[in-house]
Amino acid sequence: MTNPKIKKKDRALTVSWIVVAAVYAAVFAAEQVISPNSMLFTVLKKGATYALVAVSMNLLNGFTGIFSLGQAGFMLLGAYTYAIFTIPLEHRSSVYQYFNGGVVQFTLPWFLAMILAGLVAAFFAWLIGLPVLRLKSDYLAIATLGFAEIIRAILQWNQLGPVTNGSNMLRLFPNFNSFNILKADGSVAVYLSTTVPFLIAGVCIGLIVLLLHSGYGRAFKSIRDDEVAAEAMGVNLAHHKQLAFCISSFFAGVGGAMLAMYQTTVQAKSFTTAMTYEILLMVVIGGVGSVTGSVISSFLFVACSEWWLRFLDNEQFIGDFQVPLLRNGFRLVVFSIIIMVVVLFFRRGIMGTRELPDVIRALPGAVRSLPEKMRARRERRSASRKEAGR
Amino acid sequence: MSDKKPSSQTPVLEIEHLTMQFGGVIAVNDFSMHIDQGEIVALIGPNGAGKTTAFNCVTGVYEPTNGQVLFHGKAIARNHPTGKMKKLYAGLHADKYLADPVRLTPDRITQMGIARTFQNIRLFSGMTVFDNVMLAMHLRRKSNVFSQTLRLNAAEEKQMREKAEKLLKTVDLWEVRDEMATSLPYGRQRLLEISRALATEPTLLLLDEPAAGMNPQETEELSRFIKRIKGQFGLTVFVIEHHMQLVMGISDRIYCIDFGKLIAEGTPVQIQNNPAVIEAYLGGGEDE
Ligand SMILES: Nc1ncnc2c1ncn2[C@@H]1O[C@H](COP(=O)(O)OP(=O)(O)O)[C@@H](O)[C@H]1O
Ligand SMILES: [Mg+2]
Repeated sequence: MTNPKIKKKDRALTVSWIVVAAVYAAVFAAEQVISPNSMLFTVLKKGATYALVAVSMNLLNGFTGIFSLGQAGFMLLGAYTYAIFTIPLEHRSSVYQYFNGGVVQFTLPWFLAMILAGLVAAFFAWLIGLPVLRLKSDYLAIATLGFAEIIRAILQWNQLGPVTNGSNMLRLFPNFNSFNILKADGSVAVYLSTTVPFLIAGVCIGLIVLLLHSGYGRAFKSIRDDEVAAEAMGVNLAHHKQLAFCISSFFAGVGGAMLAMYQTTVQAKSFTTAMTYEILLMVVIGGVGSVTGSVISSFLFVACSEWWLRFLDNEQFIGDFQVPLLRNGFRLVVFSIIIMVVVLFFRRGIMGTRELPDVIRALPGAVRSLPEKMRARRERRSASRKEAGR
Repeated sequence: MSDKKPSSQTPVLEIEHLTMQFGGVIAVNDFSMHIDQGEIVALIGPNGAGKTTAFNCVTGVYEPTNGQVLFHGKAIARNHPTGKMKKLYAGLHADKYLADPVRLTPDRITQMGIARTFQNIRLFSGMTVFDNVMLAMHLRRKSNVFSQTLRLNAAEEKQMREKAEKLLKTVDLWEVRDEMATSLPYGRQRLLEISRALATEPTLLLLDEPAAGMNPQETEELSRFIKRIKGQFGLTVFVIEHHMQLVMGISDRIYCIDFGKLIAEGTPVQIQNNPAVIEAYLGGGEDE
């Protein structure tokens, strides 16, 4: 405990915990005060969902060095699993109106359904992992991309309708608003529709961080850094890659379930390749190999695309002058330019490979704890007093 | 062909008629050797002689085209020309090792107790010195991914950290444990790579040109270091080296190959005076 380096590290960790706790407190407070229709909550809910998915992708691409593009496919599996098993029985006949109410005639609590969503995604990852993970990077990317497309097609297949509702929408399952605690008269007593998604994403990301800092996390990173050396040091490549792939997919599945809750409806056709690219962009913009980066960039990304850049889509007048270029679709142009600039000029992303504690450690003076600062001030004061007395 | 029964006389490593052919190029040609318990054996030869390739066959990086490798009498590699090689094969003893081929992946072989370093240092660049060593202990863990993630393996983790600390202190790298591995000066990176190999708890240590790029003083230190760890960890050492100074100083026996073929074997003195060796080194325009 006399080692200053270790002490410093612990303090940065403590500060990180305080920052995280403050964010959660702020989210909870904001939810009680600000109108639930505010754009802020859309961004926070969707941001939390994408943060989890981006971190799960980073686990694979950034920490294990496996370039997979199957994320949308695993999210889709998760979203469908969640939806199928949570639609209340009384709504099944209306949701599955073309399939006689479907074949699944029981419901699971949202929590179990969410875990099942992860397990189903992980199971499919395990199935395709055996052949696919033997491929080298580009081929692996193509194979996983193909897998996602196939899953999307299969889930829309009419023959599976009694389970998946074919190409029709799944709806009326519990969503984020179901987390709000209601009064007897039906009005909301405590808003939790943003706090709970934050908690779910937080727990999942926390587990991923714990994993990354365990022996297995080290093994994943060694594979990323040098496969040949990792194998020579006794790391079973096939086993560890498979493991990383399944774990990443598990959390993508949970993220898919969260997306279903956020959207309140799911339809297979919306889980496109473009979705995977969006997540990949979040990872790249945040920093490949930084969990903190993925989280921050997910919120920024969602905020830009849903909120801050919206004004670009509307015609604007300054006095009588119509601002040129502003019209429907211009937002996407600006957005693409921002992304291109980031990818071209800030290739290491916002965070590089740094994490929140690293940033805190780098802040001048921030790691010095309050008591230490006070002691320093006291010493300075007494020193100057002595000076004056002399 | 059954594995030999281990006994006190069983060599630690036996290479029998090893041939490695890449397309039309025979990199290692009908090479046989053995290393006994506690020996330091060197493999020398001009650049491109096939030394690294021989190492790669022992450690499972390459599947030999023909021949077998035994570790404590147990086959860790055994193969005969198959597929396209059936026609292409230009070596000897093509029908000697037809029975049950053995193909182990490098991690399995490391698990059995063979660790190695690389000619071009291959440290994990995104990891600290400490983590490089900790990673090498991963293969001896009993805990699974769940207990590790949920930190249920605290006792094991603590034990491993203590082991890593002890190891890093014996090799004098403890002070730089939190530095990125590749930020160390070259000589210390070599040292770290050897330490990382030691962390896998090997009984046989393979070193591929550990003195490459070192000055005479560093080479001298390395010689002493190798002798020290050999005693301390009860190792048998197999070293590829160019530096005659190092080889002559530490080896019990030396094998010399040229163009993949064994041209001489013996004690350092015998090798030094062997005309074939002198010819290979001088005739080949060897620059070192
Ligand atoms: N993977 C490979 N594919 C083709 N040729 C190879 C391969 N590995 C080594 N060789 C060839 O085998 C020969 C021996 O190389 P190597 O074992 O690295 O020599 P050394 O370590 O003795 O300097 C060289 O001619 C090299 O080009
Ligand atoms: Mg070599």
